[in-house]
Amino acid sequence: MKRELKQMFARPLYIVASVGVMAFSTIFFLSLLKKGSAEEMPVAVVDMDQSTISQRLIHEMQATPSVDIQLVTNSYPEARDAMQKGQIYGIFLIHEGFYRDLVSFKRPQLDFYMTNSYTVGGNTAYKQMLTMANLVSGAFQREVLRKKGLPDDVIMHRIQPLAVDGHMIANPWGNYSVYLVSTILPGILGLVCMMLTIFVIGYELKMKTAHQWMAMSGNNFTIAILGKLTPYTILYLLLGIGCHMALYDYVGFPVHGSHVRLMFGLLLFIFSMEALGVLMITLLPALRDALSIGALYAMLGFSLSGFTYPNMSMLAPVKALSYLEPLRHYYLIYVNEALMGAPAMNSMPFALALLGFVLVALLASPRLKEVLINDRQFEQQ
Amino acid sequence: MGSNYTFVFTRELKRIFTDSGVMLIFFIATLAYPLIYKAMYYNERIEDIPVAVVDLSQSSDSREFLHKWNAAPDVKLTHTCASMAEAEALLKDQKVHGIIFFPKDFAAQLADPLGQAHISLYCDMSSFLYMKGIYLSCNQVMLESMRNIQIDRYEDMGMDKEFAWALVQDAPYHETALFTPTGGYGSFLIPAVLMLILHQTMLFGICMLAGTAREENKVIYRTVGKHRSFGVLHMVVGRALAYFVIYYALAAILVGFFPRLFDLPHIGDIGDILRFNVPYILACIGFSLCVSLVIRNRESGLVLLISTSLIFIFLAGVSWPKEMMPEIWRLAACLLPYTFGVHGFIHINSMGATLEQVEWEYVALWQQALWYFAIYYIVMYISSRRQEKIANSQKLTANSSFEERVFES
Repeated sequence: MKRELKQMFARPLYIVASVGVMAFSTIFFLSLLKKGSAEEMPVAVVDMDQSTISQRLIHEMQATPSVDIQLVTNSYPEARDAMQKGQIYGIFLIHEGFYRDLVSFKRPQLDFYMTNSYTVGGNTAYKQMLTMANLVSGAFQREVLRKKGLPDDVIMHRIQPLAVDGHMIANPWGNYSVYLVSTILPGILGLVCMMLTIFVIGYELKMKTAHQWMAMSGNNFTIAILGKLTPYTILYLLLGIGCHMALYDYVGFPVHGSHVRLMFGLLLFIFSMEALGVLMITLLPALRDALSIGALYAMLGFSLSGFTYPNMSMLAPVKALSYLEPLRHYYLIYVNEALMGAPAMNSMPFALALLGFVLVALLASPRLKEVLINDRQFEQQ
Repeated sequence: MGSNYTFVFTRELKRIFTDSGVMLIFFIATLAYPLIYKAMYYNERIEDIPVAVVDLSQSSDSREFLHKWNAAPDVKLTHTCASMAEAEALLKDQKVHGIIFFPKDFAAQLADPLGQAHISLYCDMSSFLYMKGIYLSCNQVMLESMRNIQIDRYEDMGMDKEFAWALVQDAPYHETALFTPTGGYGSFLIPAVLMLILHQTMLFGICMLAGTAREENKVIYRTVGKHRSFGVLHMVVGRALAYFVIYYALAAILVGFFPRLFDLPHIGDIGDILRFNVPYILACIGFSLCVSLVIRNRESGLVLLISTSLIFIFLAGVSWPKEMMPEIWRLAACLLPYTFGVHGFIHINSMGATLEQVEWEYVALWQQALWYFAIYYIVMYISSRRQEKIANSQKLTANSSFEERVFES
């Protein structure tokens, strides 16, 4: 272990790859998503009508926080061109004669267009344009009813006889930062833990020093591996606690269940990623192969965990694969503890699954012992 | 002179093809990853999100509403609960991802000409796609029901049916998703991932090659022959050409043919895409070479840089709109070939832009390529001079020994 501490501080890679990467990622994601929701998304209005009502519509739309009218034109191709250049996410089109047709009850049509190629921008623009289209209709009805001499409160209920009150559980602001960073940041930490674990063991193999390391531990595999990984594990766990505190104490993301259980879940996740690292180097006892395959495998965890695109819509074999990703289980614990405030029992299966990774690594460890003692026989390409 | 380029070029190809780690990253990862992503997002949109119903009004109005909503592909009303507590328990068990609640007075409020009826909708926020599916589909049904109620109420006021109808539908609207009307999550994300795969596998692979060279302390990545400046130029061009040949072919497969083969958006002109790839691949090579300058050994690059894949996809402004990013990150994004590459590609491939319309990105990529190659060349030039000085001071017959070692390898 002393040997390991020396090695750990002798090479800046370990500290940079763990502390440095985590610190940077934390600052990066939290500052990037600081605003939380998409505001002032650029859109274009194609105003072929140039009437008082179209002017008012543009004015009202500009006043809303979610979109920003970047372009007012009377040419649809111009707006389409701007969209293809990525300058705007939506186009609201008011046809010629809109006002004239509206007041003569000819039911003129409003058109709006959005892009699916940029999800957040396109959606935000879409929702606002949809609201605007409904507002136009409502505003005109109000005018007609007013002329008929009805009082405003009566009109209000005529226009809006039915309302849906939306409740977004645990994230009432629909905040993207809360949504994304809660899973991405622990995911990156897990990735770093796994890669470094592979690296510290694999490097001994690569340098053919593993037998020395084993000899120092009296060829006792348990002592060797504990001595090797304990300093890193302490470092990872500290990073885990730091990560948890940064998200839930410092920035103040909501936790509806238990703080302790959520943090415990994160620490279990770190253990399981470390175990996955050990398993990788056990199965592929060459540093480069274990690192490459490990990286490819763990990167899939981000998509497979299902926090962006839900797991329920994935094909059955893909769904099955997702259970082999520790991040999936951590994410489910997070949903239970931070969002749902569910009973502890709900998270138990996932905690056990995380422990399962550690168990599998332990079961495979006799092979690792063999590899370590006979490191000179394992030729590096 | 030309033979020197050919020499470096073929030697680099040999290095790539005899290195299993690099082969794994350059070819296997690059070709397997798109398939895995396509498989993950195969269904594109999420359908039949389970929703629990709490209907205290037990009216024909609420039943009609639920019937209409259940017909929407997005949701499936799986559970009927007697109370909110029961529904909340289902939500906590993740059996449902939403709850719709009708209060007791729902039907009465609708029947009252001055009433306003309320529906409460609770959405699981563990994935925003749940919220989107539940919220938007419910909203559609709500708007449709509302129009019917309005017409009824106007008729009750004594308007004739046609006028009431015209008033309620005074300005009907039509929404169109431009370019990729049926596109779901995969259609949005996979094109961006394809460009990222090219960028990242190249970065990891080149760093691995550079790290290996450093470890083996080969002079070959430093300088070639006695004509020093020419030598560095030969080396840079020869190596870049080797990467370019491989990656241009990979890019053609990935962003040229993959979307056509696997039913992803591909409305752009293939010629434009292939032309756009030229500066993209060059900029990626230059960028990767510059990053590889600081890589000390073959594996550390992967350990250090693996998490950049997530950072880059956000930094480029794909997952999160660039308009919402702090200024400093927007500037940092300009250093990245991926930023311009991914937007240019999405505009051409998924939105049907022409090469002229992505001129901004196209020119930016050429500039990046130029800058990165210039930086790499200068650093290599300086380090080769320093090496020569050391060699001279060690009283080695520097030039000839360099040459010998180069041609031996």
